[in-house]
Amino acid sequence: MFEFIKNSRKILGMNSRNLKFIRPYNLKKAKRLADDKLLSKRMLRKNGIAVPKLIALIKTREDLENFDWQSLPDSFALKPNRGFGGEGILVVYGKKKNEDVWIKADRSPVTVEDLKNHIQNILDGSFSLSNTPDVAFFEERLQLLKLFKPYAYKGIPDIRVIVFNKVPIMAMLRLPTKDSGGKANLQQGAIGVGIDMATGVTTSAIQGKNKFIEKIPGTRLNLSGIKIPHWKTILTLAAQAQQISGLGFLGADIAIDKELGPVILELNARPGLSIQVANLAGLKERLERVSGLKVKGLEKGVRMGMDIFGGEVEEEVEGISGKKVIGAVEKVKFIGKNGKEIEVDAKIDTGAYSSSLDSELAKELGFGDLLDYFKTLELPKNFKREEAKTIEEDLRKKYLGSHQDLVDIGLVFSSHGASIRPAVKINFIMDGTSVVSRTNITAREELKYRMIVGRRDLKKFLIDIK
Amino acid sequence: MQTISPIIQYFLASGVPLDTVILILMLPIIATFIAFLRQVVGIKAFGIYTPLIITFAFLATNGIKYGITIFIAVILVGMLMRFVLKPFRLLYLPRVAITLTIVGILILLLLVIGGALRRTGLAAVSIFPILIMITLVEKFVAVQIEKGNKTAVILAFETLIISVIGYYIASWSPLVELLVVHPWITLLTLPINILLGKWTGLRISEYFRFKEVIKKI
Repeated sequence: MFEFIKNSRKILGMNSRNLKFIRPYNLKKAKRLADDKLLSKRMLRKNGIAVPKLIALIKTREDLENFDWQSLPDSFALKPNRGFGGEGILVVYGKKKNEDVWIKADRSPVTVEDLKNHIQNILDGSFSLSNTPDVAFFEERLQLLKLFKPYAYKGIPDIRVIVFNKVPIMAMLRLPTKDSGGKANLQQGAIGVGIDMATGVTTSAIQGKNKFIEKIPGTRLNLSGIKIPHWKTILTLAAQAQQISGLGFLGADIAIDKELGPVILELNARPGLSIQVANLAGLKERLERVSGLKVKGLEKGVRMGMDIFGGEVEEEVEGISGKKVIGAVEKVKFIGKNGKEIEVDAKIDTGAYSSSLDSELAKELGFGDLLDYFKTLELPKNFKREEAKTIEEDLRKKYLGSHQDLVDIGLVFSSHGASIRPAVKINFIMDGTSVVSRTNITAREELKYRMIVGRRDLKKFLIDIK
Repeated sequence: MQTISPIIQYFLASGVPLDTVILILMLPIIATFIAFLRQVVGIKAFGIYTPLIITFAFLATNGIKYGITIFIAVILVGMLMRFVLKPFRLLYLPRVAITLTIVGILILLLLVIGGALRRTGLAAVSIFPILIMITLVEKFVAVQIEKGNKTAVILAFETLIISVIGYYIASWSPLVELLVVHPWITLLTLPINILLGKWTGLRISEYFRFKEVIKKI
């Protein structure tokens, strides 16, 4: 019971959606843009974002009377500009030969007379909020992706992404069904499938507002485990749409066209709450986690969304700190001077300042010449610890610049005593992050790891001792 | 019997009927009640105006059963006319006008039948509450178009329930007497509404809607 109340605080309800998020973050101007499909289309396109192409616009009865019906392509979508909840949208898939008759998804014919009537209704505001007069427009019909073909009933699935503070925080795939009449609208009975933010793979699913399902009704098709293509592009598009529209709390509807790839269908200033049920996750918790974060750029925001809300704990830490989490031993990949790639296990050693590399390994990486040269140098022996500083400085003055690979000379005190080591500049990749390192070279053949990574090269990482 | 508040006595002396004063003082209370149901419980109904005005229509009919009968008759016609008018593909306003006409005729028939069955109470209902309830059909048709038949029926049912409860609140004699003695009480609805207007918690209905999510987080 206590747990129930605690968890219920993670859910976003109508009251707090309206008062805490829509009111302060979606200003009137931005809302007006979202409610006006044509305007938001134009705005997005101007900013280089892919949207379905506009075919024609009908603003008045006169436009309607003078419209050239022959100019329409075989397939198109007819929409009211200020429609909501998917109402008033008419989609045709083909045209009869030598006749001005189009075919709907359910194979019923649509005549010019039908179109006129529908447009008339749109103009009269039958589908717009509070019945204000509206504008109708024809838009190109998107081509269904092969992957979605078995899942979608006679319509185009779309992906709803909620973006807040530049971070995409939750997403849902919406599949049109027989009940929804081919429309991707949950209220009308479409299927909503939760998506893992990191990978774009679907998780749990609901039909309508809150009926949990596992398979598409009447089929054996599993709804979980669908990998959505272009996932990162989709999230980036949504984040871009937020930037352009100025909607602080945005629900972006994105469809994937066979040829165009991801395109923005619609912007929503009052996104619905069922996405929480489909994802079995609370929006409020996620909103609160990203609010107040300073998100520097689009790329960063998308990255954070994927990391923070993408399932694994390790990735969460990485998302928050911006640092990679590594273990006490990590694989390190070098690209040698000769272009040779070598991967070794390295010990992460926070007791050492700089990293050090085994001399045999250094030879393999193309530093053999330097090592031979270094052996010819006259180096002091048996010095005291107090003298180290002056000796180091002397050596640097004398020899730095004498060999192209020699970037530093260091005195290192280790458990084996003191040694004078040459240091080289080398890049390596650890856990997908590249590090520009200044590594000293020493004989480590009797040691277990051929390399240790010191503090100097660990700035981008957190260490997890497992 | 406590004394009538001086201000109400003044109203009465100026010729304002007591019933009118009570109804006006009651209005904020019913409105607040509806706001509470929406924000805290999560009952939507047809906004605030419709349940409020239906409550008062119920108060004005002699006996709530006639009010409920007329209400249900109006909704039934609204549902029926959607199917009847569908093939004609009419524009919105003419469609509502036709529906209103049919509702009007049906109510007239009800009154006649009531009279024939010697149920004079129905025929004696004054015309204004009846007209108010007939216009309910526009709200119903609008929701039908926007959100579908099922939602419209659910919202109509919620409106009916709210209005019935509102009717019993408004005709609850201890409350009426309290208002007569302390009319200022009605102003208490202002701070209550300020609180309701700032309320960001989950609605009771949302605990049910998100039950599974809350369990599985």
